[in-house]
Amino acid sequence: MKHAFKYLAGFVPALLLTAGIAGAAEMTAGEKQLYEAARKEGSVTWYVSQTTTEFADGMCGLFKKRYEGVGCNVVRASGQVIFQRLVQELQAKAVQGDLMSTNDDGQMAQLKEMGALAQFAPENLKDMVPELRALADKENYWITSGVSPLVIAYNTKLVTEAEAPKNWTDLTDPKWKGQVAIGHPSFSGSVGLWTIMMNDLYGWDFFTKIEKNKPQIGRSVADGHNLVVSGERKVALAPLPLILSDAAAKRAPVAVVYPTDGALLPPSATAIMKDAPHPNAARLFENFLLGPEIAEYFSKDYRYPLRAGVPLAPGMKPLDSYKTKSIQISDGIKKLPDVQSKFRDTFGI
Amino acid sequence: MTSVSDTHAMGWSKDEPAKVRVPWRQRLQPANLLWLFLAGILAVLIIAPMWTLVVSSFTDAKTGGWTLQNYVEAYGKERHITALTNTLKMGACVVILKLMFGVPLAWACTRTDMPGRNFVRYSVFGAFIMPPYLAGVGWILLAGPNTGWINKIWHAVSGSTEPLVNIFSFGGLVLVTAIGGFFLVFVLVSSAFEMINSEMEDAANILGAGPFKTAMKVTFPLVMPAIIGAALLSFLGAIALYGVPALISIPARYPVVVIQLTEFFSFPLRIEVAAAYSIPLLLITAALLGLQKLILRRKGYVSVSGKGGERRIVKLGRWRWVLFAYCMIVVSLAVIMPLFVLLLAAFSESWTTGFSLSNLTLSNFHYVLFEHSSSQRALMGSIGLGIAAATVAITLALFIAYIVQRKLLPFSSVLAFLAVSPYVVPGIVLAIGFYAAYALPPIALYGTYMIMALAFITRFLPIAFTTSSAGVRSIHPEMEEAVRILGGGRTTALRHVVGPLLKRTLAGGWLLIFVPAAQELSTAIFLVGPTTRVVSVVLLDLSEEGELEKLAALGSVLLIIIVAVVALGMKYLGRDFMLRRS
Repeated sequence: MKHAFKYLAGFVPALLLTAGIAGAAEMTAGEKQLYEAARKEGSVTWYVSQTTTEFADGMCGLFKKRYEGVGCNVVRASGQVIFQRLVQELQAKAVQGDLMSTNDDGQMAQLKEMGALAQFAPENLKDMVPELRALADKENYWITSGVSPLVIAYNTKLVTEAEAPKNWTDLTDPKWKGQVAIGHPSFSGSVGLWTIMMNDLYGWDFFTKIEKNKPQIGRSVADGHNLVVSGERKVALAPLPLILSDAAAKRAPVAVVYPTDGALLPPSATAIMKDAPHPNAARLFENFLLGPEIAEYFSKDYRYPLRAGVPLAPGMKPLDSYKTKSIQISDGIKKLPDVQSKFRDTFGI
Repeated sequence: MTSVSDTHAMGWSKDEPAKVRVPWRQRLQPANLLWLFLAGILAVLIIAPMWTLVVSSFTDAKTGGWTLQNYVEAYGKERHITALTNTLKMGACVVILKLMFGVPLAWACTRTDMPGRNFVRYSVFGAFIMPPYLAGVGWILLAGPNTGWINKIWHAVSGSTEPLVNIFSFGGLVLVTAIGGFFLVFVLVSSAFEMINSEMEDAANILGAGPFKTAMKVTFPLVMPAIIGAALLSFLGAIALYGVPALISIPARYPVVVIQLTEFFSFPLRIEVAAAYSIPLLLITAALLGLQKLILRRKGYVSVSGKGGERRIVKLGRWRWVLFAYCMIVVSLAVIMPLFVLLLAAFSESWTTGFSLSNLTLSNFHYVLFEHSSSQRALMGSIGLGIAAATVAITLALFIAYIVQRKLLPFSSVLAFLAVSPYVVPGIVLAIGFYAAYALPPIALYGTYMIMALAFITRFLPIAFTTSSAGVRSIHPEMEEAVRILGGGRTTALRHVVGPLLKRTLAGGWLLIFVPAAQELSTAIFLVGPTTRVVSVVLLDLSEEGELEKLAALGSVLLIIIVAVVALGMKYLGRDFMLRRS
């Protein structure tokens, strides 16, 4: 994975970028066709746990701007909750979501196996960063719709850079007693993967140790970040883009630690449901997710853009400049129920 | 209201004529068809979901055959049992706290010369209007261990770094659950206090008892049935509440039944296990009802007859200020403090920074009103569902109450029993029953407003029935008889006599349903679909993302709308309709 992200370093010719944006106004023939069909369908319903509500609403706004006459409904909840909701709908044979975006691609693999997903290769795949494209399903049942590493956030008013933890195991230091926040693997998709990673790295011992620090357990991984911003907790497990954008845009007292033992890199995935009520609008939307508007929107919000040639936000480290770890899909599916159960036993909730 | 089962009395049997063979044509009279129709509605609303719940708890999800495996799975783990015992413990503590809040306040407001009684009444009413999860968020802002305002002040004053209070604890959970529901205790016990005449208290006074001794030995024992009834309902409310545990018990790491139920509702979805897990809640409720009957049967409480006699208030002397102080503490904890911080947070950039001009903003309101993807629709959904549930429930209840009170149809007491039975079904259990019965094909109501409206109507039907029943009882049949003598039918009598006479009672009942229905979370949580979300669910999602300022803003908007509707209602009713008997 390391050298795979070199291109993200941000020194790609600006020429490519301008060309991309200039082309944004023009619709390709395929896009036009989808747009016409989507207009007849009226709107798209997007189940999302990949981003916060606010960020997803922004993406929907851009979509509606480009494709006038096609509505966009965001339904946002934490990863396991959205997944459960979808499975519930599949069981009820009343699928209402057109497409779903999650930080746990294991969910996609399970949905694929259930025969719930539609195959689709959006036009914009060709402009995607090849290494990110490669993270998706080989048969195009889902695309990679983002990468947001899970790192450590700390409150800069309460903790100096020197005091801040350097790696994950530092979080078990007694000095963080009552000051750590983590998520719950049964609610959040990416926390599920993080729990697997930590168990793989250090065994369950890590969790029995961190339990002694009485971490505050939130449902979503965004919650921990906000607890650090407000000062309710000093350090937390948090997604990188939230920390960087709040620190820059809102001047929130929060900073990043890239853990030396490896940030978790869960590839976010987006797939269209086989029984989507608005299949064309869903395709149009999935293609749009890989388009230039979203790439720019991502970049502005300190996320790694999906399109080749889009520069990173200032101060953002290229993905290959620090250590990251990913969980194999099959590994994730196999290990998740076990760590969820262990987590409940250790933390009593 | 205190004894649900009274309506079950088999009074009709005496009025039944001797058995005569009736040809089936005659049996199909309009009146009997009406009975069948109402019974059909109640079957859809109550019997079918509950039956499905019980059946599916014994059903193998894969084969559809009979099994006990769901119970094994539901209770086979130690922490699943812990959640159940935790819930009972929490419920018991909540009941005690609610009674400690509600009973003294009710007594103070109805039977004493304590100053500021109206203020206390209105504040208690405020506690009714504020949904429990908003009070919960208010308390998180107040007593979060590190940045809660109380702890910040404590840190500044004492120099300590340890929190003074921590909302994420068992005590916090109990406090927030109790303040959200002691209104009911207050109302039930208040009305009981107002029905006692002073003769017995006078007797105690003459025999030398002081005001407090009289209260303890005479007044309180007389309102015991109301207190026990209120305690029972408080317990039911506490164990079935979803919002407060979701906010507090997860960080407090105090697992309770409702949180465990969400685990069964996650992937892999196990509705059958969820059904099995919720059956004990029903059994516990049934057992408590039985216990209530047993306690109340052993003694006579006939003095609470509501008949005649003068009611005098107790002169407390200087104690009136002590009581006033206690009432103020309770209403501060329940309403004033959480509401104040909530409003402040709604207008703040960041709630932790505290109050300053630079921190003031309207952006949270702008966000929740115009930018957030589902809040507009959710506001309309909540208000619409509140209106629909209240209107349908009151209309249905009026028909049933009229039939039952006038004994128009045979077996009408069956209708009455059904109408009040949802009292004993915790909201979250009701939702699982509705989900199992109606969400999936062939009926496939998943994701519609219809399934939520049905569930809400069912949930609030008992309130509607109790209100309508009391109303109809208060109208003497002679007025309707006059209509009929003059040639009018039953419907004319209902429309032109009973309806107008009951307008105020029904409007009061309507508001009593509208307010909780517009805020309902416990029933909604498993029934909302992607396009049918209600405000309570959106608020819960905002809490999950830690967006407390925006949550506070949206919560304030909901409160303002509810207060506006209630104010309209009060203007129409011309009195504070549920706090004092006219």
